[in-house]
Order: sequence, then structure tokens, then C-alpha cells
Amino acid sequence: MLGSHWARLAVAAIAATTLAGCGLSDPDTGSDGPAVAAGAEVKGKVSIQTWALKPKFTDYMQGVLDVFQQEHPGVQVEWLDQPGDGYSDKVLSQASGGTLPDVVNLPPDFALPLAAQGMLLDVAAADPKLADDYVKGGIDAYRFAGRDGAYGYPWYLNTDVNYWNSELLAKYGLDARKPPSSLDELMARARTVKEKSGGTTYLMSRKPGLGDLADAGVKLMADDGRSFTFNTSEAAALLDKYRDAYKEGLLPKDVLTETYAGNAKLFNAGTVAWTTGGGNYITGLATDNPTLAPKVVPSPAIGTPPLYVQGLSVARTSKNRAAAVALARWVTNARNQAAFAHLTSIFPSTKASADDPFFSRSDGSNASDAKVIAFTSLGRARMLQPVQVNDAMSTVVNQQIALAISGETTSKQALDTAVSRCNKLLAG
Amino acid sequence: MTHRRWFTPWLLAGPAVLWLAVFNLWPAVNTVILSFTNARPLGGGRFTGLANYQRAVEDEQLADALVNSIVYLLICLPLLTLLPLLLALLVERRLPGITFFRTAFYTPVIASAVVVALIWGWVLDDRGLLNGLLGQLGLAARPVSFLTDRWLLLFSAIGLTVWKGLGYYMVIYLSALGNVGRELHEAAAVDGASAVRRLWHVTLPGVRPTMMLVSVLISVSALRVFSELYVLSHGTGGPGGRDMSVVMLIQLYSRGFTGHIGYASALSLLLFAITVGPMLLLARLGRKAA
Repeated sequence: MLGSHWARLAVAAIAATTLAGCGLSDPDTGSDGPAVAAGAEVKGKVSIQTWALKPKFTDYMQGVLDVFQQEHPGVQVEWLDQPGDGYSDKVLSQASGGTLPDVVNLPPDFALPLAAQGMLLDVAAADPKLADDYVKGGIDAYRFAGRDGAYGYPWYLNTDVNYWNSELLAKYGLDARKPPSSLDELMARARTVKEKSGGTTYLMSRKPGLGDLADAGVKLMADDGRSFTFNTSEAAALLDKYRDAYKEGLLPKDVLTETYAGNAKLFNAGTVAWTTGGGNYITGLATDNPTLAPKVVPSPAIGTPPLYVQGLSVARTSKNRAAAVALARWVTNARNQAAFAHLTSIFPSTKASADDPFFSRSDGSNASDAKVIAFTSLGRARMLQPVQVNDAMSTVVNQQIALAISGETTSKQALDTAVSRCNKLLAG
Repeated sequence: MTHRRWFTPWLLAGPAVLWLAVFNLWPAVNTVILSFTNARPLGGGRFTGLANYQRAVEDEQLADALVNSIVYLLICLPLLTLLPLLLALLVERRLPGITFFRTAFYTPVIASAVVVALIWGWVLDDRGLLNGLLGQLGLAARPVSFLTDRWLLLFSAIGLTVWKGLGYYMVIYLSALGNVGRELHEAAAVDGASAVRRLWHVTLPGVRPTMMLVSVLISVSALRVFSELYVLSHGTGGPGGRDMSVVMLIQLYSRGFTGHIGYASALSLLLFAITVGPMLLLARLGRKAA
């Protein structure tokens, strides 16, 4: 009797714990409750979490926070910095444990699931001047289909630049200063490199991704963000071009299973002549391959440049919302962003920074040229990949694109499979 | 005179029981419960009955992963059961310098699976050592697609598993061979049995229980393979994802903010069921043989 009593209790406890752990209650999709009241006092203890800024930018960030505390004597700021690896897991554990810091660095694809669960504050509602001070593309990155508002202050921006190995191109009769302006031109030059090198050197060593499909005019997702739509004939035609190029030997065989990093690795080793990277790529290359770095020529991305956005979101559970909003705005204001951008090749998301000559004038070095190209490209850059695309979906899309390029299936069939699997991943 | 309190055994066993309950029993029970829900890392968790299992039945990637696991098992099981035994028989003899060979065969075991797979990736890739060698010898006009063809990638991973596992199972066999009575060999030799007959009638029966143990260990690890396929395919699972293992699929579905924890749990239970099958079969065969 006692045994069965304990057994019932144990089952009940397990069930209760499990149901609680699973979060059986519906996500909190309600309003933001009492938004930051106008004139609310900025005071109290707030935490801010950044992503891999220590130790390189410790002095900068601490300086920014110190000045904020001097200007708001009633506020104590606790700065948390997380390592680069495993950041999404860290944020996930904080979100599920209800310990999200008051202000947290979240790229848009991290912010979306948290916003969908009602964990983030609508900063557009909390801060009516948001649109006055930040560039539209940056704010739009934190506006999500099906939800009103914006769920983060855009912090810093970046985009991709093309990088050419001028020495390698010259060896095969090509001029890095006259880069191709279309995919067809790129493939024609890849053919030249292949033929003149006897197939030992490649120009191209990356397969296309969703960004390439978007750049080719393919609509990747329905407007309501509930289904993918990239299995179009235009998308299939683009993959057909890559399939033919692969068959012709214009791309290395390993491109089918290589990731984005594989292309950069080959470029850094001097075995392929083209790669893409952020505005500071040459600075990093100068460490990895100092002989190659001076020979690299940057040029604008072919087509629409991708926009990469980092931002600061405010937790809706923050006990000191006014202070949290003020802190997020402070760290991302024009002055602090400009100071940050002077330390590394990132670009401010504030409108006031647009005229800063630091970003638009080159000192003549190729690294500085790249920075200027990246900055001037930002005006026409856009987020090519929907924020709904997570790691699993990227993997599925890459798998199917690789299959199409290998010629083992038709491009249309591969795209149909990718869309079907991504829709399942999206819907759950 | 000794005082015995009823709670003394519980007090002693308590920490271990608590540890097992929290870190072994509860996660296992939770996995079963989650497999009947649409749980996500954030939210979800509604009871969905057998929907996840229905989805698994219709999942083409799971079908590919199961085929890969079965091929892995069918090739690894005989190779890793017999080759380490032969190696153990070779290095068992007390010859000058034999320690060097024992150490050499065991070295891949202590190396990290990821590091070893990376090294093999360099050997096998388009511009790797092996393709370079084949090209130099004129045996291949174009690089062989060791890492991009579905079956070659799978066989490369199997080769890596076998190479890395040889030393580990060799050591297990060495200890088993040490327990086979020398007097049995001597008696057989006196009776005129050749080396092959002694191997067949003395050595193999002596190590049969160990062979069963090794077979079970190999079956479990072959069905749960992850690192080799993951690293050799750069995490992509090969073109079309056709080189994914079941564990890679579980990882694919469970990671990130929007992971499908419910479905990943159902896959985990399926993998558990599939792994238990060969174990029970081998255990039964072992009992019959005994």
C-alpha cells in the first residue's frame, strides 16, 4: 500500500516536472505590459552581455560603461562577456532558465525565437526616437514577420567584399583591377584560370547558398514568414549553371562538402584566386599569410551585398527597464559606435555616422580600400537570408544544393526537397 | 555490540542513487516523455501522441542514416572482431622491439577522434596525400571523390573507424590471450597439433567470451557513429545529407533555439531500440556457444 502510494507520488512528480520543463504553457505573446514610462527614472542594477569582446575590446567597453554610470549615478552596470564558441547555447540556457541579462547582444536570428516567446522588449515602442537615429536596414533586421515592433537596437553592421589574388590572376592573364560584374563573367574567368593552369588552380571554390538565390531575384520566403518559396525555376537555373561549371571542372570536387570556411582556407593558402569576406579580411590575412596580404585586391560584391547586423536587445523581464533601454541606447549611440568602429573594421548603424570621413576615405592600402568598399556597399546591402533560417535549415539547403551541383538529381528536385524539409523544420 | 540503524545503508548509497537518478534515470525518462510531445528548447511541449514516430517512419534522411548504420555495422563487426585478434596474436610473442609495435598499434586509440578525422580528411581530400599519390603513379586522371561520393565517404569513415579501433580491441584480446592456459597449447603440440589447429581448437575457444564482448562493443559504437562522418563531411553529411548517421540526425534536429527536441528524442529512442537488438542477439549467440 505504502509502495503504491510512493509510486503514484513519484509519477505525479515526474509528470509535473516534465510538463513544467516542456513549457506547456503557451508562449507569452502578449503586449509588453507597462512599457518604459515617459520620464521613468534611470536607476537600479542592470546587466549587459556581449559576445567575445574580451580581452581585445575590454578597455573600450569598460570605458563606455564607466561613462554611462558617471552620467547615471543611480545605475550599477554588470558587464558579462561570453566566449565566441557556444554563445547560442549560453543564450538559450539563460532564456529557458529565466536568467536573460537585462541587455544582451543578439544577432537577428537569435532575437527572433526569443521575441516569438515574448522574452524581448519592443524597443520601437519603448524608444520613439529609434527610427530617427538608426539606419532603416539595421532596425528592419529586428522587425519580424507577424509581430509588431522592433526587438533590438542595431549595433554594428558589416557586409562582404570580393578579394582577388592579383598575382595568381596575372599569372593566367587576368587583371584583378578589372573584376567580373556578373556570375557569367566570373565563370568565364574561372574557365580561363582552369585552362591556363591545366586544372591545378581554381578561381571559384564555393557553392551557392540561399544568399545567392536571393541575389538572383528568387523570393526565399512567403511574406508571413511561415513557408519557404525558393524552389522556383530561376533558382533551378542558377543551380544548373553551377552544376555545369562543376562538371566542367571550374570548381574543386571538395566544394560539395566544403563549408564557407573552406573557400577562405584555400584562398589564404594561395591555391584559389577569389574569396569573399568582411571589410577587415586583409587585416586578418596579414597574420595568416603576410606574403599574400599585400597582393590582394578588393572589389565590391557582385550583385547585392549581404548585410550582417549585430544588435542589443532588452529583456522584457528586466526589473529596471528604463535603465536597460538607456544602456542599450548608450552603447549603440553614434559616438560610442564610431569609437568602436575606429578600433576594428565594423560599421556603425547610426545615421549620424554616415558622413564620417574615417569610413569613406582610404589611406591607399588595400586593407583601407576594402574598408571603404565595405562602407560604401552598406547603402545597397540587405539581409539576403531570412532570419527564420536556422543552422539545421542551412545544413539541409547546403546538402540539397551540393546534390544538385553533383548532378545526382535535378536542380528542381533538389530545391523541392530542400523547401519541403525546411518547411517541416519551420513548422515543427 | 553493534548498533544498526535502518537508514545507514540508505545514507551510504544515497549520494550514488541520487546521482544516478538525476543524471541517468531522469534524463532517460524525460527523453521518453519528450518523444511524445512537440517540445522545443523554448516553448512547445504539447502531447502529440505518436506523431514523432510517424514522422520518423516517413523521414527519408532517417532511412538513409539507417542504411549507413547497417553498412557500418556489417563491415566494422567482422573486421574489428578478427583483425585485432590477429594483431594481438602477432604482438603477443615476446620478441625484441615488440613493445614498439604494441605502442604503435595503440597510438590511434589515444588520439582524439576529431583530430584523427581531420588528419584523414587531409589525406583523402581532393588535393590530399592519397589523391596526390594516385596521380603521381598515374592510377587516376582526376582526383578520386573520397569525401564527396556517398559510398566512398562512408567507406572512408569505416576505414578510419577500423584503423582507430584496432589498437583498443587488440589490448582487450591481449589480456584474454594471457588467460588461455599455456599447458593446453603444450599438450596440443605434444599431440602433434599444427599451429593452425592450435589456434582453432585452443586459442579461439579460449577467447570466445572476449570475442562476444568485443562484438557487442563494436555493434554499439558502429550504430552510434558520429565523429568520423561528421568531420570527414565537414558537418554537411555529404551531398544530399546521404552520409548522415542517426546521431548526426539527432544533433541536426535538436540544436539551436528552434530545435525539434520532441522529434530528436523519438530518434534517440529508436536508436536505443536498434542498438539493443544486436546486443541481445550477440549475447544470446554467446550463451548458445557456451
